[in-house]
Amino acid sequence: MKIQKYFSLIRINIKNALVYRANVTGRVIFYFVFIFIFFSLWGMIYSGGEIAGYSLSQMIWYLCITELITFTSGNSVFGRMNEEVKSGSIAYQLLRPWNYVFKQFSEALGEMSFCAAVFTAMAVVLGLIFAGPLQGFPAAAVPLMLLSMLLSVTMNFFLMMSLGLTAFFMEENSSFYLIYQKLLFIFGLFLPIEFLPQWAQNILRYLPFSLITWGPAKMIVDFSWHHAALVLPAQALWAAAAVLLAMFIFSRGVKKVNVQGG
Amino acid sequence: MPAIELTNLSKTFRVKVRGEGFKHAVASVFKPVYKPVEAVKCVNLSVEQGEMLAFIGPNGAGKSTTIKMLTGILHPTSGSAKVLGLDPVRERRRLSYRIGAVFGQKSQLSFHLPPTDSFRLLCDVYEVDRNTYRERLGRLVELLELGEFLDTPVRKLSLGQRVRCEFAASLLHAPEILFLDEPTIGLDVVVKQQIRELITRLNREENVTVFLTSHDAGDVESLCRRAVVIDRGSVALDIPVKKLKYDYLNKKVVSLKFTQAAQLPEIDGVTVVKSSPYTVKLNIDTRTTPVARVLAALSADNIADITITDPPMEEIIAAIYTNRREDGA
Repeated sequence: MKIQKYFSLIRINIKNALVYRANVTGRVIFYFVFIFIFFSLWGMIYSGGEIAGYSLSQMIWYLCITELITFTSGNSVFGRMNEEVKSGSIAYQLLRPWNYVFKQFSEALGEMSFCAAVFTAMAVVLGLIFAGPLQGFPAAAVPLMLLSMLLSVTMNFFLMMSLGLTAFFMEENSSFYLIYQKLLFIFGLFLPIEFLPQWAQNILRYLPFSLITWGPAKMIVDFSWHHAALVLPAQALWAAAAVLLAMFIFSRGVKKVNVQGG
Repeated sequence: MPAIELTNLSKTFRVKVRGEGFKHAVASVFKPVYKPVEAVKCVNLSVEQGEMLAFIGPNGAGKSTTIKMLTGILHPTSGSAKVLGLDPVRERRRLSYRIGAVFGQKSQLSFHLPPTDSFRLLCDVYEVDRNTYRERLGRLVELLELGEFLDTPVRKLSLGQRVRCEFAASLLHAPEILFLDEPTIGLDVVVKQQIRELITRLNREENVTVFLTSHDAGDVESLCRRAVVIDRGSVALDIPVKKLKYDYLNKKVVSLKFTQAAQLPEIDGVTVVKSSPYTVKLNIDTRTTPVARVLAALSADNIADITITDPPMEEIIAAIYTNRREDGA
């Protein structure tokens, strides 16, 4: 009975996303442009063979997947938190019998499931056009890959939410978001961490930035049980930590809600 | 047990002070200076179950802050609030099942979807079972005449239609207390009337306690028996609406337009607020002078247009303060 309300929130937000379709169109074009530019770039760099263990085809697929993850979960949770806290409209959300943090997540899941459908289709189509079918793709491991992507989306969501909720304590927090985006970008989104020196790899493979992008993307383009056994538990731990962090910041922040007038 | 009980309730906000000039700007980075602002000061108030209370005061008097403390949104700085025997802050979620709120300036409906979708969602959020929900919604649809636009996206509704839906949304879980913050702002007379009738009915049939803030004298008059006036964070007046009305609401504002330039005869209890050859605006003290007597003094042929209104709540409140200060209170 209690969980029902969160499913209801997911459902209504899928509906909302369907109405809002136009919002996605722009991002679909952007996704295409992004893949195309990197396809051209890597085509120039590669002269046959492999770089850091990735073939050209794997590299293109890698990008299709990291972009799929960020385009799906890169919804505006940071901006929304920021706005709700600063304008004080968060106060009205507190009137209802729900857990605010999970309410936000359910809403985002609704929106994200629509984006996930659109961008998965994009990833598969563009991957097949630009890179051709993935060699040696283990169909049996698909459930693990999906789990890994779900964990990265969850991690990404709750980390961005935590950053957004810092608005309770500081007036200007958008630099956090910028830094976070850049970290995601350089530590796994556009370059697999294998391109970096060994010592950096040893650290990065345990950090959330790489686990969000590199973790699942590498698992899909170059599956190994060893990689899965390393990445999945680390993702699960970070996802749980991110949820707790968001809840902690929220419970601290909510005591400081200041809304005058309005 | 009273439905709402406030004991020495106070709320102080800390507002950052920004000095002028570069030196202050630099200094405030290292050592911000805060100024306390007392939004609510030691409010004591008790509202019985089934009572309809008007909570009025000028903008910035602390009305919204008080409502937010009663609903558990804001934490009081000191003092305590008890709503339905619960502590709004510590038992916010338990309390939220039993109270409802309508904020005239805030929508709780999904903008792009028809109201039915929002209603369904709220019914799940409040854990109302489907049968009760259908029955309750049916009744609200009938009372508020929502049938026509239940399936129209909210963004296409008129303000009146939307506010009626907001009321339905707040009432689906059968709250025991209804907090209304400027619920009729911007509405036309017909919708206002419809909403007032709904509130009166809920109060009569379900013994719902109503806590209303409004700048609309009509809302206050037609709904509430008791009025609490709050100013600068403190309770200034706690009196029956009848007395408020007798003391302060016995004025009518009459605006007249003439077809030919006219001179108004002097009448007792009438003050001219504004006047030009073709238009005039009057304040009439209805205790001494019925509106009819003023109209009788004018020649009917000469009147092009006439409007009779209640003085706005702000004026009544202003009048209350002027009187209080004159009384040395």
